[in-house]
This record gives sequence, C-alpha cells and structure tokens, in this order.
Amino acid sequence: MHYRLASGVNLDVIPSKKFNMNQILINFATPQTSSNATERNLLSNLLETSTKKYPTQTALADQLAKQYGTYLSTGVSRIGQMHCMRLKASFVTDQLADTDLFNQVVDLISEILFNPLVEDGKFDQATFDRQAINLKSTIDSYYDDKQFWAGRSLMDLYYKDDSVMKVPSFGRSEDVDALTPSSVYQAYKDMIDSDRVDILFLGDVDEDHVRAAFAKLPFKDRDTRDDDILYHQDSYKQVQRHVEYQPISQAKLNIGYSMPIYSGDDLYYAALVFNDLFGGSPYSKLFINVRERASLAYYASSRFTAFNGFLSVQSGIDSRKARQVEELIDQQLVDLQNGQFTDEEMAEVKSGLVNQYLSSTDAATNILGRKMVRNILGLSDVDTVAKINAVTRDQVVQVAKTLSKQAVYLLSGEN
Amino acid sequence: MENYLYQEFNRSIYRETLDNGLKVQLMPMKGFNKTYAIMTTDFGSIDNNFRPYQQEEGVVVPDGVAHFLEHKLFEKEDHDAFDLFGKLGADSNAFTSFTQTSYLFSTTSHLKENLDVLLDFVQDPYFTEKTVQKEQGIIGQEIQMYNDDPNWRLYLGILGNLYPHDPMHIDIAGTVDSISKITPEILMDCYKTFYQPNNMNLMLVGKLDPEETIQWIRENQAKKDFGPQETPERYFELNDPTGHDVIPFRSLTMDVNRPKVMVGLRGLKQFDDGNERLHYKLAVDLLLDMLLDDTSDNYLRLYDEGIIDDSFGYNFDMTRAFHFAYFSTNTDHLEKFADEVIDILENADEEIDKAADRFDGIKKAEIGRLISLLDSPEAIGNRYGGDLFNGATLMDEINEMKKIQLADLHQAAKDFIKPEGMSVFQIVSEHH
Repeated sequence: MHYRLASGVNLDVIPSKKFNMNQILINFATPQTSSNATERNLLSNLLETSTKKYPTQTALADQLAKQYGTYLSTGVSRIGQMHCMRLKASFVTDQLADTDLFNQVVDLISEILFNPLVEDGKFDQATFDRQAINLKSTIDSYYDDKQFWAGRSLMDLYYKDDSVMKVPSFGRSEDVDALTPSSVYQAYKDMIDSDRVDILFLGDVDEDHVRAAFAKLPFKDRDTRDDDILYHQDSYKQVQRHVEYQPISQAKLNIGYSMPIYSGDDLYYAALVFNDLFGGSPYSKLFINVRERASLAYYASSRFTAFNGFLSVQSGIDSRKARQVEELIDQQLVDLQNGQFTDEEMAEVKSGLVNQYLSSTDAATNILGRKMVRNILGLSDVDTVAKINAVTRDQVVQVAKTLSKQAVYLLSGEN
Repeated sequence: MENYLYQEFNRSIYRETLDNGLKVQLMPMKGFNKTYAIMTTDFGSIDNNFRPYQQEEGVVVPDGVAHFLEHKLFEKEDHDAFDLFGKLGADSNAFTSFTQTSYLFSTTSHLKENLDVLLDFVQDPYFTEKTVQKEQGIIGQEIQMYNDDPNWRLYLGILGNLYPHDPMHIDIAGTVDSISKITPEILMDCYKTFYQPNNMNLMLVGKLDPEETIQWIRENQAKKDFGPQETPERYFELNDPTGHDVIPFRSLTMDVNRPKVMVGLRGLKQFDDGNERLHYKLAVDLLLDMLLDDTSDNYLRLYDEGIIDDSFGYNFDMTRAFHFAYFSTNTDHLEKFADEVIDILENADEEIDKAADRFDGIKKAEIGRLISLLDSPEAIGNRYGGDLFNGATLMDEINEMKKIQLADLHQAAKDFIKPEGMSVFQIVSEHH
C-alpha cells in the first residue's frame, strides 16, 4: 500500500512472509548540482558514523550488534539527474529475534536522521575531520581499480563540460577541502527539510503498525518540485577520444554511445533486449564474437542506464589490438542495426531477462529498489514478464538504430 | 532419502547418497521463484600431486590445472554447455578455489532440463589440442587482469608469505608459463581422478519438489557408467607443518594511490573431524570480532588515529588443507598498522577479558548475519562445505554458533595465535 506521510514524503508497505529478514529503504532525492554531490556523500558518512545518543562509531555499531546484527548503511547514488542519499536497514523478523526488533530499528533510524552529532549548527569537528580525510582517500583509491577507473573516465569524456552529470554521484576529492562542519550541516538541513523522501518497507509486520511507526518520524511538508529527472544530451559532431597511459598489463577499451531511450518509454523493454543481444549477457555478440571467437578480450560487455540515455561498452584487451577490437565492436552494432540476429537468439535473451527478473524478486532489496525508482519516475507497476515477451525484432532494430558512438576511452599499458 | 526439519527456520533438508556415490542435498524454499543448483568436486588448485585414477604412479600436474579444467568442461565437440543453459533461460557459471571446483546454475523455469544439462556437461569431458590452445590465450588474459588488481596481489602476497613452499602461494589460475604446459591428457587424468561421482556433491536450493527432483537425478545417473569407485589419493603435505617456513615480511611496489597492508596469521592446528573444525571456525570468527570488529575499542582507537579507515577488514579462511586469518587496510601508516594488529593478537587473552561485556552482542550479531543468508539460495548453496564441516548446513551452523561460549574463545586464541604463524605483506605506492 502507498501512503503519503506529508507533502513530498511517501511510504510504501509491502507485506511479505517469504523472508527471515525485514527490509527498510529510505531515499532522499534532490536535483544534483555541480557542488552538492561531494557534501552529500560526506553527510551520508557522518550520519552513519554517530549520533548524539551514540556519539562514537563503536557506540552505534554496538547498538546495531545488540539488535541481532542489524545491517544499516547510508550511501549516495544517482537516478538520472537526481542525487540520492539512501539509508538501508535489514534485520531479522520479530519472531526470530523474539523481541520487538522492528520498533527498535525504527527508533534507531529516527535517532540517526533526526539527532545527528551536531552542536551549534555544526557537525562534531573531530568526527568531521576524520570522515573528510577518509572520503578523500576513498575517492583517491578508485584510481587503483582499473575497470572502475576506465568506466569513470569514459563518463568524464562522454558528458559535456556544462553538465552536472560530469560530477560523479560520490563527488570529487578536490572538493572535500572546501567543506566545513557548518556547510555540511546546512546540506543536512536542506536534505531533511526539502528533499523528496521515499520510505519503503518489506517484511512481516502488521501494516498499520508499520504506518504508525513511520508516521512518527518528524518529516514536514515540502514542495514536490517538478524536477527534470531524465538526462538528455545532444550528439557531438565528432567522436571524443582519449588515451591514457598507466603501468598496467591489461588495457581497457571503453566506448560510450548515446541511446535516447528511457524507463517508461515504449521502447524501454526492447532496449533491454537489445542490450542483452549486444553485450549485456553471455549470449551477446560482444561476448561470443569479441571474447570467445576472436579471443580478443577477457571481458567485453555493454551496460545501459535508462535514466541517462547512455550505453557503454567495456572491454579488457591487449593495448596493441585496440583498433582491431574497436572495429570488431563497431561491426557487432552494425550487424544488429541490420537485423542480423536469429529468432532463436532473441528468444534466448528474452527468456534470460525473464529469468533475471523473476529471480530478482527473490531478494527483498531488489523489490524495494525497483519500487523506489518507479515511484520517483512516477511510473505505475507493470507486468514486466509480459512486456519483455512482447518485444519484437523490429523494435530491437529500431533501438539499435538510435545508437550513436560518442566517446572512446583507452587505458593503455605504457610502451 | 533422509529428511531433516529445522522447525525454527521453517526449512527442511533432504539428503541421499546415490549408488554411484554422488551425494545429493535438496533444500526447498517456499515462495521462491528461483532454483539454485551447485555441483562441487573436492578438486582445487592445491591438488597438483596425486595418483591418477586406476594408475599406479603418482603425478605432478602444472599449476592452474583445476581452473583450466573448469573452463574447458563447458566446451563440447559441437556445442557449449553455457549455450544450453542460455536456451533454457538459466544463468550458469563456475568457480575454482584452492580446494574445490563448482559448477552452478540458477533458473526460474525448466528445472529438469537444466539439471540434465548440468549433470551431463560435468560428466562428459571433451578435451582436444585445439581447444586447449585457445583457452591458454583466454586464461592468460585473465591472469594478467588479476595482476593489475592490488587487492588480489595483496591476498596472494600474504599467502606467499604464510605458505612459501606450498601450492597455495600460486594464483588459483596458475601462471602464463604453467598453463602453457597443460595438455588434453593431463586434463583427462585430473578429470578421471576427481570427477568420479563419489568425490562430488550436488545441492539444489529454492523452488523445488524434493521427491520429483531426486527422481530426476536418479534417472539421469542410472544411465551412466563411471567404472569402479576409487577414493582419490592426494600426496599433499605441508612443507613445514610447524610453520617455521613462514616469511615474516615482504613488500611490493605498485602503481597505487593508496598503500595497502595485510597481516596474516597461519593456523597450525590439524583437524581429523568436520564437527571439530566447524566449532573451531565459529569460535575464531567470534574471536576476531572480539578483538577488532567495529564495536571494539581497538577499532575506534585505530580509526581515530588514522591508522585504519573504512577499507579495514578481516577474514578467516578455512579449507581442508590449511586455514589462516588476514587483516588488511589502506593506510599511510603501514608499519604502525602491522605492529598494532600483531600486538592485539599476541595479547588476545587479556583483550577477550577486557571485552567480555561485548560477547553477547557480538554473538547475536553473528547469528543475525547467518540468519540473513537463509534468505539467499546462492548463499546457502555456496556456503555448504560438504565433508569439510561434516555436512553441516547453514542452519546447523547457526545452531552451533549459539552454543559458543566465552571460554571457547580463549581456547581458540590459544590454539590459533602463534608468533611463528604471523606475517606482514605490504603494497607501497610508486608515486610517493
């Protein structure tokens, strides 16, 4: 059931007896700006570190341990142009814990969100300093994960200079120094008072009880702005190219395409099928033709984000063969645009997608995550299985033809 | 078929050992759409010296052969098993560890057909010169990719320190050089020795009807002839069971932004019994939590001094042949971290006493974490250790965990923490 707790504050309760764990997801969303990602990431880290009642992270961790190891975390992400701070909690059912664990967890969430370790409009200085250093180090360490680095570098090349999308949802290391305990407190106030809030619960607790418990959280009315969530970008006149050299043994070739198809569009499910035929599944052209037949890559796959109109290909290759690999990848796309795939391949990919979808409903976090995204995009529930099965060849070709290569990034070994 | 009900968790397990020796476990989960199946042989990267099936003399095989065999088993004369799963809408995969190789699929439809695909491809080897050669290229790339991963290098680095003359110090995938020596004949020797049904177990978890499922498995197996059953004979012996060969320290320079350090602790105790091993493992898990989990004073102190950050973690790995714990972090204070962790380990007895009031919370937290795994067919299937823990299921593990007392932690500390088993490996940045 869906409830409105205040203007811009939503609650969804999904009763289920299927699991041994109950789940809570709370999402705070606001349009991303060029500066808010970094401070909201630091804020997210501060909130999960301590509160007034539990002023050290061990005090807070100890409380979670006593609540049967309740898993509680906060983190940032992005849905299109909306910057999201999420709080997730999972905890054993009251029956298995043999106590009113649900109430205790909601109390703790209330403490974390509404009673942070703040004095005089500032976060505690020592905690702030430590978390600021750690955030910088964490962002800096992304350089050490080469697949991640290549993926990030491609996005940097793909998104235009004036786009807020250029700033990752986790922020920028160089922006951390400008933050202060009072500026992050201001970001906290903005989030609590003005963000769109979606609270979702899945599990085995009486629905009225759940509603009453969350209704007690002191959220006020806020303007539900008519935000531009989906991101559109005009094509470049010329493909953007960048080669970076690092002392690595396996090179990474990543390619970015614009693919202006979004969640809720008529062609959305055809885009899912297209992606799995292109590189999103082990039965895809990239996997079979680039990796398996030509042995040109250890991995070669594609991924598409249905909020950004962006599709990327990532591959791990031998630097010397970069040109050959790129040509082969181009050819796979051309083949799909020309309808060169069999009905059998299409049926396989569809049954794979159906299998993935049905499987995903066996994990409570997936059910909540999907529901939350649909809420934010204002989409109603659909029969996903029927939608996937209804996709036609023509639609897949139509999707393939919308792709336009925009950016090519190569992370190459030295020499 | 035996059936055991765990009332508290509303779960049952069904077991049967087939005539050919294959051990089958079935665990239905009400309300789930998915069935997860995992078939495992007790053959991993450390099993490089053994007596091949129905032969007299022992052989030493090239490093990485178990993982290589795993890749090759999917490929048949005129098809790839992977595609068969694909046509049936299932996801399939496989993985190799130091001591086992597992093949798995997950599906929401056509369970019988998928099960037949799994049993048939695992039990019908096809190795040729040509396909072996092609795989050498693919796995060569895989090894290179792992070479660029500092976390993997750190993990292999500490294993190299703890077991410098044992097969654990070599990457599970082998080396580019060692895999170039693999031939179809070697693969077949390994296959025949370790893929006999009596050396394997099959577990299905999720949406399933136990009676119907076991009948499908029986029918599939009855059609096949595996020859006489033989128990694999491995010639695995630790180079030095007393651990005096442990290298105390090594350092590697890499292109990393953040230096990394890992402290390793090699266990020297030997086990003859899976129950004893499980009890020990759970006691050590709790012991490490007592010493260094995020509720501990040690953690807070190291965190606030900037010696550890959120990348800090620790783990305890238990296998049939060896066991060790490791503690790692990204840090600018490499030596300080190592000194602090070693100091905490060496004073474990006092540390346990000091933290006695945290014991109940820590135990509850571990129980909660284990219960959370009960919602995942994959976690239940992957966690099943077979003979390692005497057939214990996740539910047995939870019940065993409930029994652990503070005194067990003192005993575990006494058995596990020995100065000669400690070592440090670090990765320093070439930028600084």
